[in-house]
Amino acid sequence: MFATDDTIVAIATPPGRGGLGVVRVSGPRALEIAQSLISRQAPLEPRVATHTYIREKTTSGVVFLETPVDEVVATYFANPHSYTGEDVIEISGHGSPVLLERIVQLALAAGARLAEPGEFTLRAYLNGRMDLVQAEAVADLIDAVTPQQARAAMDQLDGTVTGAIKKIDAALFSLIARCEASLDFPDEGFHFIQQAEVRSTLSSIADDLRALIATASRGRLLREGRTVVIVGRPNTGKSSLFNALLGRNRAIVTPIPGTTRDVLSEQIDVLGVPVTLIDTAGLRESHDPIEREGVARAGEARAAAAMTLLVLDGSSELTADDDFLLNEPTKGRRVIAISKADLPPGMVPQFVAPEGITVSATTGFGLDELREAIVREVSSQDDRRDTPMLTNIRHIALAQSALDAAARALAALDRGATEELLLVDLHDARHSLEDITGTRTIDDVLLHIFTRFCVGK
Amino acid sequence: MSATDFDVVVIGAGHAGCEAAWAAARMGARVGLCTLSPETVALMPCNPAIGGTAKGHLVREIDALGGLMGLAIDATGIQFKLLNRSRGPAVWSPRAQADKRRYGSWVRDALCAQPNITWLFRRAGAVLMSGGTVTGLAFEEGDRVSCRSLVVTTGTFLNGLVHIGDEQHPAGRAGEPPTRALADSLHALGLAMGRLKTGTPPRLSRATIDFSKFPEELGDVPIVPFSFTTPRDVLDGRDQIACHLLHTTEATHELVRQSIDRSPLYNGQIQGIGPRYCPSFEDKVMRFPDKSRHQIFLEPEGLDVDEIYVNGMSMCLPRAIQESIVRALPGLETARVLRHAYAVEYDFVQPTSLLSSLAAKDYPGLYFAGQINGTSGYEEAAAQGLMAGINAARSARDLPAVSIRRDQGYIGILIDDLITQGCLEPYRMFTSRAEHRLVLRIDNADLRLTPLGREIGLVDDERWRVFESREKRLERNRAHAAGTRVKVRGATTTVAQAIARPDVPMAEIVEAGASFETDAQFASFDLATVEAEFRYAGYLKRHDAELARVRSQSDRAIPPAFSYEGVPGLSREVVERLEQVRPTTIGQAGRVPGVTPAALAIVALRVARPSKY
Repeated sequence: MFATDDTIVAIATPPGRGGLGVVRVSGPRALEIAQSLISRQAPLEPRVATHTYIREKTTSGVVFLETPVDEVVATYFANPHSYTGEDVIEISGHGSPVLLERIVQLALAAGARLAEPGEFTLRAYLNGRMDLVQAEAVADLIDAVTPQQARAAMDQLDGTVTGAIKKIDAALFSLIARCEASLDFPDEGFHFIQQAEVRSTLSSIADDLRALIATASRGRLLREGRTVVIVGRPNTGKSSLFNALLGRNRAIVTPIPGTTRDVLSEQIDVLGVPVTLIDTAGLRESHDPIEREGVARAGEARAAAAMTLLVLDGSSELTADDDFLLNEPTKGRRVIAISKADLPPGMVPQFVAPEGITVSATTGFGLDELREAIVREVSSQDDRRDTPMLTNIRHIALAQSALDAAARALAALDRGATEELLLVDLHDARHSLEDITGTRTIDDVLLHIFTRFCVGK
Repeated sequence: MSATDFDVVVIGAGHAGCEAAWAAARMGARVGLCTLSPETVALMPCNPAIGGTAKGHLVREIDALGGLMGLAIDATGIQFKLLNRSRGPAVWSPRAQADKRRYGSWVRDALCAQPNITWLFRRAGAVLMSGGTVTGLAFEEGDRVSCRSLVVTTGTFLNGLVHIGDEQHPAGRAGEPPTRALADSLHALGLAMGRLKTGTPPRLSRATIDFSKFPEELGDVPIVPFSFTTPRDVLDGRDQIACHLLHTTEATHELVRQSIDRSPLYNGQIQGIGPRYCPSFEDKVMRFPDKSRHQIFLEPEGLDVDEIYVNGMSMCLPRAIQESIVRALPGLETARVLRHAYAVEYDFVQPTSLLSSLAAKDYPGLYFAGQINGTSGYEEAAAQGLMAGINAARSARDLPAVSIRRDQGYIGILIDDLITQGCLEPYRMFTSRAEHRLVLRIDNADLRLTPLGREIGLVDDERWRVFESREKRLERNRAHAAGTRVKVRGATTTVAQAIARPDVPMAEIVEAGASFETDAQFASFDLATVEAEFRYAGYLKRHDAELARVRSQSDRAIPPAFSYEGVPGLSREVVERLEQVRPTTIGQAGRVPGVTPAALAIVALRVARPSKY
């Protein structure tokens, strides 16, 4: 838990060298601190980008020195019209990590505190600048590896998901109000809702929730990427392929079988889809305890993977180990790569694995075809761009628990349960939805009843 | 400690005041009960009925704690019904028509028979204070009494103003003078106060109504009592009266529309806010123009009185127009109006100024209960009166206050809602206000509250004996349900499993061979408790788990000296609401209107890690 009333500072742009870098200062003393760092004497004006210099004051003996640190553009966002809802100054400087860190240090010396990860967004949420879905989406946007992922995060920031959830919530609320009215006003000469309508309303709420959750599998694919695990007997060129797909040398490649002993994992962008690529130890019997452990870990990775990439050595004959891997029943999807196309062939691929893709990690031959096959297999869902997507694991779990509650209510209805029991599940469903957005809607059930129905003797 | 005339003085002998005086006296306090006249003790100035959904729950909780109301209505009820019978036991709620005159005199007699109560037939004038603490009460007549605790239960009397058409006259209730001196005294204390409105329908002469035109509404047989200690033979064979149902007509609606500018509710004469759940006839017609008719119940005010209460037709139109409207209804063409409908505006104390003990935050020893706290209803008033009486008696003895949690009783919900949310309109209890509805049932009110009543000295030996034998029976009944197999609708299961099926009525299971013990002398709720416990078993288990999870968060205390001023991120409005309510826990803070989850997170952060700056 963080304090919420001091002034925080951090580099807001990603680590590493870039053309520009931004230092963000937020809190009650942000303006004062920023003003003390810059050479410009006149006060910064809200929403005006001001060209100025960061200067560092030092003393040498009795002489005060001012050394310019960087040439920057400072922009002041007065509370509450800022990202965090507090006074915010964004100092845009040159993208050298050394310079940016120097600016942060100067701000710290002037009384700011280094922000914890996510703290700017936490403050934005606490100050009501965004709801929870939006706050989490911002974190996703920043983490986005690929453009498509950034778009999914943008959708949530716009409130598309919030809107979809609010719509379901409104239907649920109206149903709750009418069931509550039936309990609290049994004397009224009419039923507020008939059982058939309870059932149909509840079914359509459940359908909407199911549709929202269905988008999650695609949403999650984008957000988390799919895990692709490379398997094969030792020395078929798995690590070479891993490095080739990655675009750099991550795995150690030697002609010695069993070189890769642990599981290596990297996030890569395969034609816009983030994929977690895992290189594993070759599967073989070994007496080396380290290699045996590597083989065991490879088995675990394979069990958790969405897809396996089976690598066969095209320059040698099919071995019993290859045959075993080819014929073992696979749970998930599989792509077969026949490697070492740059060497003389030792097998006839069409006979061994007609669906196999012939590749060479050395020349790059067949790699694009392999990438397309991987994307096709990991994202066989339809590409529905215009529907809101739940991408956050927390949201999916809450939407699922809302759906579970709706399903419990439907089942109870079938068993002949009356309103006081249905309402337990309906309220549960509603609380789950409210937890997604982190807002508590004004749930004056009674107000709803009194404005819609004329009740009361 | 200097001797005082009384430990507790109660101002007002309505439903709140009577419970307060009764509870304090039963707990051994010396009580002075101040009221204008012995004729208006426990008066029912509006509908002649006790109970109803959620209100019936309140009455049974009052009874479980050792209060009066349940016994009084069982003794004097003239028609009894158990509402929501077609649903599960959690929402069953008793309601009874009362014989108004007998009800009032029964309560007065009970108070007269109770040692420790001294009647003070005077006009309360001013609260006496010394150093911010209550020391006594001065009467308008000039004399004064000293006391350690003072309970104010003045209902609608504070600056009461009655409206009938353009007639206005100061009155607490029609025909009774209002209380101005006391109102001034309370205003001078600086308590937050507001103004509300309520109303009552006309009373008709029974002899002038043609009842053959209307369907009869009859009571239940056998009667389900309100009290855990009313013997069966008191209710068996009770004569029950009929009520009658009729509907308003387009002609009566037209009369309202024609004269709407003469209704103080619609011409600006009334400023106070009325209850939405009990709309006046004017509101029904004007706000729901699509409804062509509204229900009206004709309810006798007693066995042998001429007055008939016209339930559903409260209004404040001029007298002549009221008469035209009544006579435009088929069957009421010749009906004579004995008393006209009226609206009354009155001052109330914004209950956010109170602690959960119902004492004023800034004035130890000064308690408020009932309609003066912005509630409506005899039951809501009685429940507060009981709690205020208990705490006034305890405070007089320097004992800590007791309160009831929201998961423990409707009384807890009532008081927590009042002190946390305040009142924007008259507050009435509904089951939808209870987040722990399946637990808060009429059958288990004793299991929930009688041990507390015993602990504080309000439950006498007789009630305690009844309770203890009931607990033992319940244990045996639970064992029977879990260990006995029955064949119901082709399936052989334990009795417990059979009860869990919501579509199988309890009677069918008993017929199949389940046999439960019940009390011979009292109409106990043994069967209902067993039914509820096993029918709701799955839900109750989930509820308990959820409650444990939530309470670990929501029970976190906010230090009494915690300052919301200057906490960054809290809006001005939220700070003001929180400073006014001064919630004692994070859970209560979350229930303060306008406090968003984000604001609550800030408060929780600040409480967990106070700022160093």
